[in-house]
Amino acid sequence: MELVDIVLSLIFLSILMSLGSSRLLQLIRVMSFQGVLVPLVPILIAPQYQPMSLSTAFASLMLLIKGVLIPLMLWVAWRKIAIRREVEPLIGYNASLIAGLAMILFSVFISSQLHLVMDRPGSSLLLPCAITTIGAGFFLLMARRKAITQIIGYLMLENGIYLTGAALAGHAQTHYVVEFGILLDLLVGVMIMGIILHRINTTYDDIDTAFLKELKD
Amino acid sequence: MLELVFIIPYLIGIVAFFSPVMIGRVLIVTTGIIEFALACMAAWSSRLPAATFYFTASPEGCLVLLVTTFLFLIIGLYTLFYLVETDMPREHIFNGCLLFFLGAMAMVAVSDHLVILWVAIEATTLTSAPLILLYHSKGSLEATWKYVLICSVGIALALLGTFFITLAMEIGSIKVPLTFSSLKEAAAGMDKLWLKAGFIFIMVGYGTKMGLAPMHTWLPDAHGESPSPVSALLSGALLNCAFLGIFKSYTILSAAGMHEWAGNLLVGFGLFSMLIASVFMIIQEDYKRLFAYSSIENMGIIAVGIGIGGLAGLGAMVHLVHHSLLKAALFLSTGNILFGYGTKEIRQVGGMARLLPMTFISFTCGFAGISGFPPFGLFVSELLIIFGAFQNHSFFTAASFIFMLILIFAGISKHFIRMTFAKGEAKLIRKERLGRVFPVFILLATSILLSLWLPEPLRQTILKTVSQI
Repeated sequence: MELVDIVLSLIFLSILMSLGSSRLLQLIRVMSFQGVLVPLVPILIAPQYQPMSLSTAFASLMLLIKGVLIPLMLWVAWRKIAIRREVEPLIGYNASLIAGLAMILFSVFISSQLHLVMDRPGSSLLLPCAITTIGAGFFLLMARRKAITQIIGYLMLENGIYLTGAALAGHAQTHYVVEFGILLDLLVGVMIMGIILHRINTTYDDIDTAFLKELKD
Repeated sequence: MLELVFIIPYLIGIVAFFSPVMIGRVLIVTTGIIEFALACMAAWSSRLPAATFYFTASPEGCLVLLVTTFLFLIIGLYTLFYLVETDMPREHIFNGCLLFFLGAMAMVAVSDHLVILWVAIEATTLTSAPLILLYHSKGSLEATWKYVLICSVGIALALLGTFFITLAMEIGSIKVPLTFSSLKEAAAGMDKLWLKAGFIFIMVGYGTKMGLAPMHTWLPDAHGESPSPVSALLSGALLNCAFLGIFKSYTILSAAGMHEWAGNLLVGFGLFSMLIASVFMIIQEDYKRLFAYSSIENMGIIAVGIGIGGLAGLGAMVHLVHHSLLKAALFLSTGNILFGYGTKEIRQVGGMARLLPMTFISFTCGFAGISGFPPFGLFVSELLIIFGAFQNHSFFTAASFIFMLILIFAGISKHFIRMTFAKGEAKLIRKERLGRVFPVFILLATSILLSLWLPEPLRQTILKTVSQI
């Protein structure tokens, strides 16, 4: 069994754990766990491992941002939230877990239908994992009521798209300037969402997205 | 160096962030002048070569850059007088972010690399979010949250679409840099299926930012709740930048010979946006939201024009220029109305002809322009799109296009007459000032001027843009 398969299986596990989490803190921990795993994937599927290369440096930077910095910002936001710290799902935890399993099956089916020839290690699990992560991100965006869980859903969606990029794009197209730009956008985006979250919390005493009902036609 | 067009606003933005508000206000106008000069240099003489292969001065980029920087200059002048009369909380953040926002938009206009374009478009969302948030009202909070979340998720899908395009390159074993200019040449060898899939995702992703229905839900909120100069910039400049993302991708598909398929997709989204906008405009009660829906309509018109191609494509590019000028003029006028009456409700506002005479004139001209009356440019562009549709034998498109324009005219004129001539409940709380009115007249005059006489370099830029599709 390849090392990358173990990492991808752990990402599958993190998806299911995030769908089943009932406490916000637990959800943030799961996201941190996933943020550590995702940057490892491109290194593990590279033809050969070079410890002192630019790709390793970039992966460690990404690990620092996705695994440490962003979860830390979410944790700070969590600390400031008033009493209710449950996730408050619109769709229950068991139903979410079943939906997660269905998503995994569906993505395996889709990936097998695409007939993409890829002669890299981890190829059998990489694409299903990427598609499931995207699906689970959308699921968290829609099926959870708190604004903070929507940020987490967005992060997971972004992780999924990053994995898709790793699966689909060849290494010839990797420019670290470009990838750094994406990462910077993500970081600033989460920071701004965190600021808005703080405002929402001080204005409404809660971060329930039910507040999003004033503006309409 | 072409990169200066976005490096300069970023640097000056940092200065404005840390300097007193008075200096910040002056810096906004100064940057506007510098940027407009740079944009002219890039478009007129192409004396600004790019230092890296990530950027290039493409004709469509130069067109959007010219429109953006010109609008920024005029809106900057308006802001100068606007900020004197408002208590903007934390104004240094406002000044800094306004300049960062300009930098991000300029970066969109000059980027050639697919992912750099994505990074720049996402940066426009992030730099403009604080501008909407600053007012602290519950409405602006909700609007900003929707704006950031919906646009970020939407744009994330565009990144997925970009990865699909790299896959299409890899399957076709094309070894060129991931830039629009080189992909256009290599387009014929790319895998058709994945190119299509990529375009659908890019269309949905950047379409969210451009305000195409049904992904437009953030737009009326964000445009309605932000301060008026920001609404004018969002509507007149930002939507064009998102459109640029779609247009550039469309040129790749066009070069690959999938002109018709992608064009139909654009026409479909465009007509649907016009339909949604016309319905919501008739029942609208808030005049800023009314013009936000009008932006959705006009983005739909541009998408329809590009999708049909030929004469209609030319019409779409002319439409883009004039819509930006007129819509910015209208949003700045609504800013003056909001200043005068202190309410955004159409029902409360009345008797503008007597109470705010100069604003009345600018608002009337803006209304005439946006409804497509001559001598304003939208008359020409809408006519061109209709001719193009007939030339292309798309009679259904032409018929629904005309029908929707009539519906929208009915919607706007109903509210317009209510606001200008009928009696309203709201009392005048602040008189109009010349400083807040003359920038609006500059915008209107530019639109008239450009529909009578198009400077040769600008004409060449538009023609070169259209020749790509």
